[in-house]
Amino acid sequence: MSESINETVSVVLWNNAPYSFSWHGRKYRIKTVGMHHTIREGRHLFHIFSVSDDSTFFKLVMDTETLGWKLVATYAV
Amino acid sequence: MQFNSAPPTTMHIDINSCFATIEQQANPLLRGKPVAVAAYVKDYGCILAASYEAKRLGVKTGMRVKEGRMLAPRLIVLPPDPPKYRAVNKQLFALLSFYTPHISVESIDEMVMKLSQPEAGRPLAENIAKDIKQRIKKEIGEWITVSIGIAPNRYLAKVASGLEKPDGLVAITQENVIETFGNMQLTDFCGIKEGNAGRLRAAGIRTPLEFFRASTADLKRAFRSIVGYQWWLRLHGYEDGVMYKDFEKDREEEQKSFGQSYALGRPYLASDPRLWQILTQLVMKMGRRLRHDGFVAYGAGISLLFGGYTHWHTQEKHAAPLCTDRDFFLVFRQMLEAAPMKEIKLLAIYCYALARDLQGSLLLEDAKNREVSRALDKIQDRFGDFIIHPARMLAMEQKVLDRIAFGKV
Repeated sequence: MSESINETVSVVLWNNAPYSFSWHGRKYRIKTVGMHHTIREGRHLFHIFSVSDDSTFFKLVMDTETLGWKLVATYAV
Repeated sequence: MQFNSAPPTTMHIDINSCFATIEQQANPLLRGKPVAVAAYVKDYGCILAASYEAKRLGVKTGMRVKEGRMLAPRLIVLPPDPPKYRAVNKQLFALLSFYTPHISVESIDEMVMKLSQPEAGRPLAENIAKDIKQRIKKEIGEWITVSIGIAPNRYLAKVASGLEKPDGLVAITQENVIETFGNMQLTDFCGIKEGNAGRLRAAGIRTPLEFFRASTADLKRAFRSIVGYQWWLRLHGYEDGVMYKDFEKDREEEQKSFGQSYALGRPYLASDPRLWQILTQLVMKMGRRLRHDGFVAYGAGISLLFGGYTHWHTQEKHAAPLCTDRDFFLVFRQMLEAAPMKEIKLLAIYCYALARDLQGSLLLEDAKNREVSRALDKIQDRFGDFIIHPARMLAMEQKVLDRIAFGKV
């Protein structure tokens, strides 16, 4: 089921898309980037990546102001 | 006059089960599973879109979540995520722009395009449609499918797009119109539901073919107005000039009103300050859109839906233009004071009688208020919605969420 997280994560990119990320000392290898879209809060631009490692879905958000990444939600079947 | 013999150059593109499909595209773990996107994920939330897996189990748009779960106990219910759907809408628009500049965005999941080449015949249109489908899979998302209808006019293109779902491609042309209508029911036509079907039945028209073969005089009699002639044009592949926007028409020209509405999770009386908090949010959203597009309004209206589905509505015109959030809030608040003391389930506000905000106000106080409004708009443009707001919105329990209105993006 879906869970809100909102924690900072470290993301490795490949071809401008997340390739893997580390969270709570564990490394997750991304197998599918389902979707990439952007949202704005005022002039502040965020890139949202909907990705999966084939067993869990992750919503990763990159803040273009800080270039920092956050894991905002997960979903497991 | 017979069926329009012009080449079928109008294409209606409809994203299948739009919100649900996009959620399945974003999250591969949802693919192949019954998914519904609902206004609220609780039992009484209204289902806005169901995936084809859910539809096969009987789940339909408009059902309550509770009803959906009774039909499909494993139904996965998600809240709407409008930015995701708008992103796909934008990508689709960009993709279609490759083929023609004549595109009309009908809603978040529907677009109509007119091919530029007047000599284009059905084979070319079908090839373009197949190309569009392939490119959508490759460039937007492999799980996203569209149904495409091709016809000489917009109405029949829309009808055609609804005949095969999901992933359909149907053309209605002079050559196959009889066969196509022969396999349809009257209510398969958009705009023909119980009321119009009853009018047609009363005039002895029971099937699509009888509808198609009826004369303009018969149809005028059936509908008791010019509407009958417009139906004749639609069914024969001509534009009726009524049902759809023009491709080229400037959006601003069409803007006649601005409005916002909110379905209350918990009903309030009109005198409840918590309702005024919600009203404030709606006013801020509406006012900002109005000012952003450079308008003022001379009319405002409010509409309430109560428990038990009774309804109350009022609107009034003003001599002075309404422009700032304060102008609107005072007008709507006064209207609410006259409203019946019943529990309100849905609050909708709108402004109309629009005029271009060219002159500004000569009254010092008004001019100052407008300047303050503009400054507040700029702060929100820079830092985000509601980053600055009236004190009455402090400690709000219910927040007005981003929603996609019917027929809008």
